[in-house]
Amino acid sequence: MSASANVEVKVKDGSGEDPEKLAAFEAHVQAGGLIEPNDWMPEDYRSLMLRMAEHHANSEIVGALPEGEWITRAPNLKRKLALTAKVQDEVGHGQMLYEVAQDLGKSRNAMLRDLITGKTKYHNCFNYPCPTWADICMIAWLIDGAAILNQGTLAHGSFGPYIRTMRRINMEEAFHFKHGEDMVLTLMSGTEHQKKMAQDAFDRWWGPSIAFFGPHDRPDELERPAMKWRMKTATNDELRQKFVNRFAPAAMATGLVINVCEKDEHGMVTKATPDPLLKLDEETGNWGFTQPDWDEFYRVIRGNGPCNDERVALRRFSYEQGEWVRNAILNGQTTSQN
Amino acid sequence: MITNPRIKPPIVTDELNTQEVHAFPVWEVFTKKKETDAHTHAGSLSAPNAQMAANFAREHYGQDQVCCSMWIGLRDDFKSTDACEDTYELFVQWNAGDRHVHVGQANASSREDAETKCKTEFVGDKEFYTIWSLPHQAMHAIDGDEDMIWRTTDQSYRLAKGYSKIVRQKWDAIRASKEVDDYQKEDLKDTF
Repeated sequence: MSASANVEVKVKDGSGEDPEKLAAFEAHVQAGGLIEPNDWMPEDYRSLMLRMAEHHANSEIVGALPEGEWITRAPNLKRKLALTAKVQDEVGHGQMLYEVAQDLGKSRNAMLRDLITGKTKYHNCFNYPCPTWADICMIAWLIDGAAILNQGTLAHGSFGPYIRTMRRINMEEAFHFKHGEDMVLTLMSGTEHQKKMAQDAFDRWWGPSIAFFGPHDRPDELERPAMKWRMKTATNDELRQKFVNRFAPAAMATGLVINVCEKDEHGMVTKATPDPLLKLDEETGNWGFTQPDWDEFYRVIRGNGPCNDERVALRRFSYEQGEWVRNAILNGQTTSQN
Repeated sequence: MITNPRIKPPIVTDELNTQEVHAFPVWEVFTKKKETDAHTHAGSLSAPNAQMAANFAREHYGQDQVCCSMWIGLRDDFKSTDACEDTYELFVQWNAGDRHVHVGQANASSREDAETKCKTEFVGDKEFYTIWSLPHQAMHAIDGDEDMIWRTTDQSYRLAKGYSKIVRQKWDAIRASKEVDDYQKEDLKDTF
């Protein structure tokens, strides 16, 4: 569960580079060519790829936090095994992606420290609360489903180490997603109480799911470095539309209602009304939908969401508590813990 | 005292006072899925020593798919220019984007010599992207016979294919078959 689609990109486009080298590089990647770490690349490509991989890695390990809390409360042994495996997978994805980022020039240690001091970000959707088991089901279905759509396109990007990691990660995301479908379908074929739990969780997660792909495309989207250099192969709005086309009819088939929701400061829904724009355009095959609340999106991404402090605090707590382990491994010494 | 952060994580805004740790060395990991397959680069990892690297490698690259053998080598050893008389393990990355695949061994006096032999014996006229070589004695092997890698207990709960059939049945019960087919087009089936 994760993706790097909504990294805020404020990167230059390689204009300081040797124009001949840059032109050859761009022709190579635009023709589908791939870049390996020892190949020549514009400095801006390297730093943007590093930030994408770092943001993605951060998202994997922060994303595991709300799910980890539910392991002890899973409804049965099978679900507990699966959730434990999912959390283990996510942390493993973080490890692999930090490895990719590290090879682009930033130490793992600096990345872990920047995450817990708020210098770098992780995916915005993990700043929302996860109050019931049904939230776990919706995250695995909707957020992992969104991640698969996004990462399926990232796996066709231009940087060799990142796309190899993406292919490997996608194999595990496929399990998370199937498991999520199974859980949602189970809830929605259950009792009225289960269905209500599922609907309430769906109301909390539909907005973050369609906001998952990041802000609206800019008019010059295709000319911007991430697209031009084929780090991304689909735009945010393309992926969002694809997501709605896939998930809106599926959700309705299970009996879920797609609502436009107002939320309080804890991320809990205070008002839910059926999305008035939700209908199929027969000509284009696209489903209409109400855009996510972009004011809320930017408020949360700036650090003022329901769970920002809690997520970073827990990650920091783990980092600080783990200091003696790192010392023991490195020096064979344990510093005293108070 | 360790408080339970699950209940209320302490929200701290002061400077970090933990020490920065030195970077761990990087290791390259190769996995072999079946006896008839070649060892193929699975990825890299950071670990302080060979034993920890082996433990991490099993966790990260071995346990989620069938795997009968792993090799682990220190990345710096793949770059060493020191003369070293040994049997070298040779890996070729045929195209950019590909994983390095084990093509065979050669007796050589240095890495340079090993890579020359790799070109003459295993690459020939074919195009290739990069070659990696490592003295056999520098490679740490984990053999599935002695050290467990892939568990033979039922792992279907952690694989997509463990859910495919039941999920399809559940969708078929509530949606038309063609709609389910369309919906499942984005499933990344090749990864199952």
